[in-house]
Amino acid sequence: MSERPILVVGGGPAGMEATRGLAAAGYRAVLVEKRDELGGTPVSGSYAALTPDFRDAGEAMAEMAATIQGDPLVDIRTGSRVTDASGQAGAFAVTVEGPGGSEQLEVGAVILATGFQHFDPGRETQQYGYYEYDDVLTLVDLERMLKTGQVLVPSTGKPPERLCFIQCVGSRDRQIGNEYCSKVCCGVAAKESIEVRKLVPDCRVFVFYIDMRMYGYWEPQIYWVSQEQHHVNYIKGIATQITRTKDGRLLVRGEDTTMGRPMEVPMDMVVLSVGMEPSPGTIEMAGVFGLALNKYRFIDTLGGALDTVTTSVPGIFACGAATGPADLEDSVSSAAAAAMKAIGVVRRAALAGST
Amino acid sequence: MALHPNVDPDKILEKAHHVQDGMDISGHWNRMFEQRVIRDYTPELLDKVTALSGGESLGWCYQCAQCVPVCPVDAVGSYGPRKIFRRTQTGADLFASPDLWQCTTCMNCLRVCPKEVDMIQIMPAVREQAVLAGNVPDELQKAFENTSSYGNPLGESPKKRAAWTTRSKAPVPLMKEKKRAELLWFVECYPSYHPRGIDASLALARVLNHLGVDFGILGNDERCSCDSQRLAGEVGLFEECAEHNIKQLQRYQTERVLVTDPHALNAFRREYPRLGGEFETIHYTTFLADRMAELGMSRPLGVKVTFHDPCYLGRHHGEYDAPRRMLRAIPGVELLEMGRCRENSYCCGGGGGGMWLDGFMSDHVNMRLSENRVVEAVETGADVLAVCCPLEVSRFEDAVKSQGCEGKLVVKDIIELVVEAMGPDNDS
Repeated sequence: MSERPILVVGGGPAGMEATRGLAAAGYRAVLVEKRDELGGTPVSGSYAALTPDFRDAGEAMAEMAATIQGDPLVDIRTGSRVTDASGQAGAFAVTVEGPGGSEQLEVGAVILATGFQHFDPGRETQQYGYYEYDDVLTLVDLERMLKTGQVLVPSTGKPPERLCFIQCVGSRDRQIGNEYCSKVCCGVAAKESIEVRKLVPDCRVFVFYIDMRMYGYWEPQIYWVSQEQHHVNYIKGIATQITRTKDGRLLVRGEDTTMGRPMEVPMDMVVLSVGMEPSPGTIEMAGVFGLALNKYRFIDTLGGALDTVTTSVPGIFACGAATGPADLEDSVSSAAAAAMKAIGVVRRAALAGST
Repeated sequence: MALHPNVDPDKILEKAHHVQDGMDISGHWNRMFEQRVIRDYTPELLDKVTALSGGESLGWCYQCAQCVPVCPVDAVGSYGPRKIFRRTQTGADLFASPDLWQCTTCMNCLRVCPKEVDMIQIMPAVREQAVLAGNVPDELQKAFENTSSYGNPLGESPKKRAAWTTRSKAPVPLMKEKKRAELLWFVECYPSYHPRGIDASLALARVLNHLGVDFGILGNDERCSCDSQRLAGEVGLFEECAEHNIKQLQRYQTERVLVTDPHALNAFRREYPRLGGEFETIHYTTFLADRMAELGMSRPLGVKVTFHDPCYLGRHHGEYDAPRRMLRAIPGVELLEMGRCRENSYCCGGGGGGMWLDGFMSDHVNMRLSENRVVEAVETGADVLAVCCPLEVSRFEDAVKSQGCEGKLVVKDIIELVVEAMGPDNDS
């Protein structure tokens, strides 16, 4: 008996990498993506350049998609959703609803790569006035702006003279419930700070932070570069409040903790470094497949540090930001691990069936 | 300050304390004689705090500093919740530090704290130990002693607690005589004794009568709710007062307790239940906000009013709207908001024992919190600073004087504005 195909849910970087890995090993894959195009959040969120290497996000995602599009082992179903699942490791029956209607598929294993969504800074608190002030943006809003090649203050239409990032918005916060570090926001802010300085060389850029978390190569790749070559100012101490000055600028109030002094500094634009939360798709798929979620409602993985992809249901694996905050490097690495484990399930099932 | 062994103190030109031509120039330059290098940290001092029940969360601080810009004391001094953690970590014993007495428990730090470091628990826990060890600023100690001897921090005779009622045209029945009433009005100390507090009590008595509310007071059987003394560390005294009040209240049949003082509201809602006193309690603004139309307020006041949210009504108990609804219902009142209002309201400095620490605080702040607030109120262009916490009237009136704002701003309890709009009292 031959191996059943493996279902991959989610066509972002993790899902595409998992699919590519399955096909490269000679296994059949069905990739189900609810949006009409592949590329995941880097595409739907209009990212300009990827962190940390500044690659054009659209190009990079298209390149990943090209590795699986047209592959005879890969069945890509965009505009489609998984609505029901039953069975067990080696023999799952899933219902996929797509543009052509509803269809039942037999698959041997499942990989969930359903990703994250950006924290909504107006959801829990209006602390920073995101919905009040036009000139308070998120990393994602600025990314969209960078993609147009112009950084302009929304309220004036002029380039900013002073712009700051506020880190850890919606992360590391017991009151909001997101106690985790979202991992990528420090790096993304540093990357965007460089891009702002390149596009608007006269703009002074500040980053207000608690800790700059630049693990591994991100330290020299983006953090040091932003400070040493692009003269971005890093200031330890998170802003608490944004108000408006009489001349219509934003006034950022906080404390400079290394000086132990209060600060009230004017800005033209404030960028909130919003973190990650589980996407609606992640929570929905956990329901369809009966998977346990962790306390933050990401998909729970059982193997600790040494197995980042095994879920509470045998034969179903999760990767990328569906299991918690993850950057691209984490996402494609865990996708490959999930592909390998899924192959193990269908291959072993086939071997058992043939004896 | 310890000097280096090689330094001859007689040869120091900059004395540790020096007054020149009446100006105190102590300190600043002498800093160079202090040890600059941190040779060790003091986790044991932090452990001392976090080992206390209620003190645990001080150890959770990760120094993000969101608390500092919203701390009312930091705005006029150099105290801030984040700094407490850091100073404790670097050698300051909170149990013996002036920092211990500066927090007003206003809760604005906790509101923004991502780690839920809870000064409302930490401060009373550490202060309780300081109180037990006898390390209490004198003026606070005096307030404790007054409360213990007389049942009120002002040191007034407990036999005169109900004396204000003799000035009331409207009847203020005693529960002792009435036995049952729909509403038991817990008057509290400042509304019973302080002249400006009494003004508000008389006004509230008139309004309750006008509405035909079935109410009574404990009179001389009432003692301080003692919540601020508790927050200032006098837990034993608090329990004594609480048990007394609970016993008194349990003698009568009543549906609800009405309080004038948001600090009493906190005691009744959050603290008395664990001592066996379960009473549904309501602040007078919440009680009256829906009934303003019944008051026949026919005299438009023609004033601009700004409103100060009491910490213990707003942040602690979530009531921001009732006082504003009352003010908007008064004819001829234009309500102007201060920049720091509602959730981010500034503190008057009276909470958590601050009412009895003004002398102590003057060594640590460049202006009183009440003064900082009055300046903000004047900036709105308001004629009246409206309040609904009995600690505030006197604090803000003093601040109006000290800031030279007399003639620009008057301080009134909302209930005083209500009776002004009702016109002269011709009921009796």
